[in-house]
Amino acid sequence: MKNIHINEIKAFVKDAVIWNLQGDTTYRVYIGVLMLFIAGGAYAYSVQFTYGLEATGMSNIVSWGLYISNFTFLVGVAAAAVMLILPAYIFKDKDFHRIVIIGEGVAVGALIMCLLFITVDLGGPLRAWHLIPGIGLFNWPTSILTWDVLVLNGYLALNLLVPAYILFCQYHNRKPDESKYRPFVLLSIVWAISIHMVTAFLYEGLPARPFWNNPLMGPRFLASAFAAGPALMTVVLLVIDSMTVFKIDKTIFNKLRLIITVSAIVNLIMLFSEIFKEFYAPTHHSLSAVYLYFGLDGYNSLVPWIWTAITMNILGTLMFAFNVGKKNVKMFFPASVLLFTGIWIEKGFGLIVPGLVPSPMREITNYSPTWVEIFITLGIVAMGILVITVLIRPALIIEQRYQEHLASKGEEH
Amino acid sequence: MPKLRLVTILLLSGLLVLAVAPALAGHGIMEKVKEANEPFDSLQIDTPLPKNTVQVKEEYQGGAFWVLSRKDSIGRFPCSRCHGKKKSFKREGAALAHGDIELVHGQGEERPECKSCHNEKNLDLLSDKKDREIDFDHSYQLCGQCHFRQKSDWVGGAHGKRHTYWIGKRVVWNCATCHDPHSPRFKKRWPSTYSLPLDK
Amino acid sequence: MKCDRRTFVKGMGLTVAAGGAALSAGCSSMPSSGEEMKLRFHEYFKENYRLMTQLEKEQTVERLARLAKLNHDIDVQVGTQEPLEQVLYGYAFNVSRCEGFMDCVTACVKENNLDRNSKTQYIRIFEMEHGETDVGSGDGKYFHEVPVPDHYYMGVQCFHCESAPCIKACPTKATWREPDGIVVVDYDWCIGCRYCMAACPYWGRRFNWGEPHVPRAEITKKQHYLGNRLRNKGEMEKCTFCIQRSRNGKLPACVDACPTGSRVFGNLLDPDSEIRFVLKNKKVFRMKEELGTDPKFWYFID
Repeated sequence: MKNIHINEIKAFVKDAVIWNLQGDTTYRVYIGVLMLFIAGGAYAYSVQFTYGLEATGMSNIVSWGLYISNFTFLVGVAAAAVMLILPAYIFKDKDFHRIVIIGEGVAVGALIMCLLFITVDLGGPLRAWHLIPGIGLFNWPTSILTWDVLVLNGYLALNLLVPAYILFCQYHNRKPDESKYRPFVLLSIVWAISIHMVTAFLYEGLPARPFWNNPLMGPRFLASAFAAGPALMTVVLLVIDSMTVFKIDKTIFNKLRLIITVSAIVNLIMLFSEIFKEFYAPTHHSLSAVYLYFGLDGYNSLVPWIWTAITMNILGTLMFAFNVGKKNVKMFFPASVLLFTGIWIEKGFGLIVPGLVPSPMREITNYSPTWVEIFITLGIVAMGILVITVLIRPALIIEQRYQEHLASKGEEH
Repeated sequence: MPKLRLVTILLLSGLLVLAVAPALAGHGIMEKVKEANEPFDSLQIDTPLPKNTVQVKEEYQGGAFWVLSRKDSIGRFPCSRCHGKKKSFKREGAALAHGDIELVHGQGEERPECKSCHNEKNLDLLSDKKDREIDFDHSYQLCGQCHFRQKSDWVGGAHGKRHTYWIGKRVVWNCATCHDPHSPRFKKRWPSTYSLPLDK
Repeated sequence: MKCDRRTFVKGMGLTVAAGGAALSAGCSSMPSSGEEMKLRFHEYFKENYRLMTQLEKEQTVERLARLAKLNHDIDVQVGTQEPLEQVLYGYAFNVSRCEGFMDCVTACVKENNLDRNSKTQYIRIFEMEHGETDVGSGDGKYFHEVPVPDHYYMGVQCFHCESAPCIKACPTKATWREPDGIVVVDYDWCIGCRYCMAACPYWGRRFNWGEPHVPRAEITKKQHYLGNRLRNKGEMEKCTFCIQRSRNGKLPACVDACPTGSRVFGNLLDPDSEIRFVLKNKKVFRMKEELGTDPKFWYFID
């Protein structure tokens, strides 16, 4: 650490930027498309900013919609990085050690999306400074939302700093000092669990909403996250494997498959347990579940979504369980997409909207997002993907160079 | 090292107590209500006594209270202006002046007639079952002879309405401010507004 | 310490953007004058109401009145009346008396300057069939002659819970219980996350999804900072027991307007009050008592 000069940091950042600006036509088109979506989102947000949240499909009954749904799901994706960090740093798994940086990049992207989704959901985004401890008034420890602000930002910092330090050392062909970053890695493991548990507690802690007021919420969040997150990782790794020079070992996919299969099965068992509770002895508190799965009083906009989600969920789980990618890892692609999308629908829309419907006065309204919400959502997702790309590209180049450097050093000796 | 562990345990249990204590304290609203037995100075805000108010001949738990006058809201009071020496109490009167009155009050044998309440000797007054004279402004005395439960609720504050202020001298509406004595049930009518269907 | 903090906030603000302030708070249109811009700037950086000194309260109230003049060309008085000593408000609703006329709703909308565009209402009246007690079985959207035979009516609004889940939920302490028991919102401190709305088991809170609109002639001018003053889009609001009235000794507008005397309001700490009489002599119940919210709103039956 003593030798770090401002110039070294400058060079590191400069190269990272340059590597991101270089690329072939495919890469440029890809970035262009992302930028287009981001611009669309920015325009839609300007509309929402001018007219207020009136521009969305939300109402006094369904007061949270697409934004908070996506936020909830993406917290899980971010937390799932722990499934790579744990084996890589703690069990010293060589395969995972190579790709853990990608996992951390995905986590950072997911966190950025989470924070953006929260921001666009605010009625007074310019007053967000009221949330800053010390300057504003932070209702900690009473409000679970303040816990979420803390854990999300903390996790973002951890996932930025540890990889940045490691990459910075590797960029300068130095061996990262493990004693320096290991405490932070350990912290980030606990932290990953906490971000998802705290997010679950946001909902779990509301007796007003019986559909959410359910102690299985936290554990189920984790199970679904540990299935959906690694499924997303599988997709990202398959893309990297086929689109770049960075090749991913088959054993990695097989290890990821184990994690996904176990988590997805646990998730399905918990889902079954919830469904059993709601429908074996239905009470007034089961109305949300009735609305979700079968529709209530003629309102049934979520019914096709949830059954599609459950079908995808089961199909994806089965494909992983029966190891469709045994011969060809590319077969993991459809399985991952199925599982990921299924969980996305179920844990996003399928969790948030029925929690609010029917209202505490048992009034029902259908919710469908407006174009503004959809454009903003797409814009944020594009932004997230851009962040992930921009982080992972230089990271992979640095890793590659460092490995080559180590190899050449080995030859010298 | 053991010291550190002790500190951690203490800290954690402290946090737990902090989080759980408010829930266990159970100092709910009813405890606060039960403990509050000191008289409250209701006259700390000097609320104006409306014109046309008379002091009720009884007291409520907080002492004297006032009721809106009835006489002032009867357009042609005093009745003796028309009902002078020449009595026109029965059929002709109804046709002349009170044709709009429909007596829908009580059922069966309990059903009152005009003279059940109006004082035949002096139409500026009312009279109860025992022929005691009752002033129009104190009609609660009359109504209360049958509707004694409503009356005790009215005196205490569970029936009827307070006038404008919750603090200060207690002024309440009289029975007839709300109820047409000849037809005391509220008339059916359309609500003054409606709630929006909540789906967009 | 506090001074430092404020200075920091203001300094930060100056460097960040005066334009940001201009867009803030009410921000549907750009301020039309330098004066308005200055007012909005100060409004943007003001404190949470509970931390304001008396002077700061007076200053913000003055600014708000001036902004109302500039934006709506009306003269409003925004009060900051403090709670009365030894007062804790309570409310009782006579289920056997209410006939569903909804005069309370009309009075509430008028008194509290509720948004006419979205037809915001704090009070809901549910038409319930005899034999049912769950408010969910009732019809809150009826519009026909009332009362309907074999039905009764149940009013629902904010219950000003002693142990209010909305207060616990708020991340910025923008909503709290005043010493006289009224649960209020500092509209200008609310960031509009709507967590309180999700936390309320009584559907007691309303959000300004768009810019609220009240026709100029219908604006109630006697206002309170925590009560019926004009709100902006993106802010949460709710029933305040008409704080601008109750703190001046008046009954809330709904109680005053009720033609059947179904609504009883008063001081729970006054053993001689009407509300105490109801609690003592009537069979009362509270909605969803099992949730432990401890509402200060009782239903009773004659």
